[in-house]
Amino acid sequence: MKKRYALRFSPTLVEQPIVSKLVRIYDVDINILNADVASGRGGKLIVELSGSQEALEESVAYLNEIGIIVSEMVKELIFLEDACIDCGACTAVCSPKALSLDEEARLFFDASLCVVCGLCVQACPLRLFSVSDERGA
Amino acid sequence: MAKTVAEINEKIRGGTVVVVSAEEFSKMARSTDLATLAEEVDIVTTATFAPMCSSGAIINFGHWTPPIRMEEIRLNGVSAYEGLAAVDTYIGATAESKFDPTYGGAHVIEALIRGDDVRLQAHGKGTDCYPTREVDTWINKETVNEFYLFNPRNAYQNYSAATNSTGKIKYTYMGSLLPRFSNVTYSTSGELSPLLNDPYLRTIGLGTRIFLGGTIGYVVWNGTQYNTRRDRTADGVPTLGGATLAVVGDAKAMSTEYIKSAYYEKYGVSLFVGIGIPIPVLDEEMAAHLAITNDRIKTSIVDFGKEDHPPVRSVTYAELASGSVTLDGERPVKTAPLSSLAKAREIAGLLKAWIEEKQFFLTEAVASLPTDSFVRPLVPREGGIR
Repeated sequence: MKKRYALRFSPTLVEQPIVSKLVRIYDVDINILNADVASGRGGKLIVELSGSQEALEESVAYLNEIGIIVSEMVKELIFLEDACIDCGACTAVCSPKALSLDEEARLFFDASLCVVCGLCVQACPLRLFSVSDERGA
Repeated sequence: MAKTVAEINEKIRGGTVVVVSAEEFSKMARSTDLATLAEEVDIVTTATFAPMCSSGAIINFGHWTPPIRMEEIRLNGVSAYEGLAAVDTYIGATAESKFDPTYGGAHVIEALIRGDDVRLQAHGKGTDCYPTREVDTWINKETVNEFYLFNPRNAYQNYSAATNSTGKIKYTYMGSLLPRFSNVTYSTSGELSPLLNDPYLRTIGLGTRIFLGGTIGYVVWNGTQYNTRRDRTADGVPTLGGATLAVVGDAKAMSTEYIKSAYYEKYGVSLFVGIGIPIPVLDEEMAAHLAITNDRIKTSIVDFGKEDHPPVRSVTYAELASGSVTLDGERPVKTAPLSSLAKAREIAGLLKAWIEEKQFFLTEAVASLPTDSFVRPLVPREGGIR
């Protein structure tokens, strides 16, 4: 399987041979999609790892263990809640009921129920929803 | 004993007026008889905050030196009406930008209310008395002379709910309608809505003072498509469409909390308008109207999947507000509002506070709105395209 991750490092980790270690020990292939790394100030790598599910899990565990902040690049709903007028139009299209109106008729967003189908992006008359692509792993 | 508007205004002045929202009044009516309520409560505040397409603003820009007779006008790229005197215009809420269909007159109106600068581009042919041909400058609500909303049709008494029988999602002014009857949308504040609480417009007419967009406004005419011939329930409430209001108010004093631009996917731009109307509890008959509850207000769910929007079934607002209804008698279908009940409640509360603080007095209508009016269709005639 293939998964994309964002890896954020502190300056001290920049010196470590992370990529070669992942390849040798965990038997995953690494495709670096984007790199912003500089000695002395840390950095961010966007990588795609391919390998067995177990290998990917172990790789993420290793990266977390040595102090790298790992986010899985997946779709996620962003909601500009402060500008919401509680009209409820988005609830019409939200099948998993992540968006609902509470007893006070205020909009309530339960991110744990969201499947990021994106229908609310079009349904909101104030355009308050968008889909992002990164999540903590 | 019956009360008059003048007596109620005296109570406002004296600080003894009793004001409740229409929702509170309906709740009180469960345990208190109407005669007592009519005696004890003076004013019931009603409100709505919903997309109302037939809205817009009149602006006078002030004269340029040397003057221009504006014959093409754009505000932030949105065309405004040019067929008035030299520097007067009307910008309609649904007018779309030539450059971005998700931006329109409603956004320009909201920007001006917020205090933002808006780009004004105007062209004139140049005349002896108006020699300037081009103007390209910036305006805001402080630089213009007048900026007021004039909305030809707001506060629909009642409105049909929408669903979609086709196999494809439909993007409509009633929101996103999922395929195969998978949702139902509706737009009302129900028992809190102004014209559902005074179904025969006994206390609302020409000159009635209202809350409009965060400031004081007025009813200035019946709204367009005003229809008094709808079927009514035993309570007198129309089961569809019904009455509408034309309203005016000083947009310079409005707030973007209560006027909000909107874009409905693949439909276009609209404007959320906040309206609050205080209804005097003149007598027991008015108390009976004001005690209306969602289970006694009906509308039709209509099918936006078919061109003539045929009715699917009749429904009460209590059912719609419950979160689901059945369409074929079995499968529950999700319901969702398009108008903000939370905002409507806020407006009803604000209007109540204004009255209690002696900042808002009731008016008696200068004239009644039409008692017999119906909506004509546009019919094809010989020589036109059928």
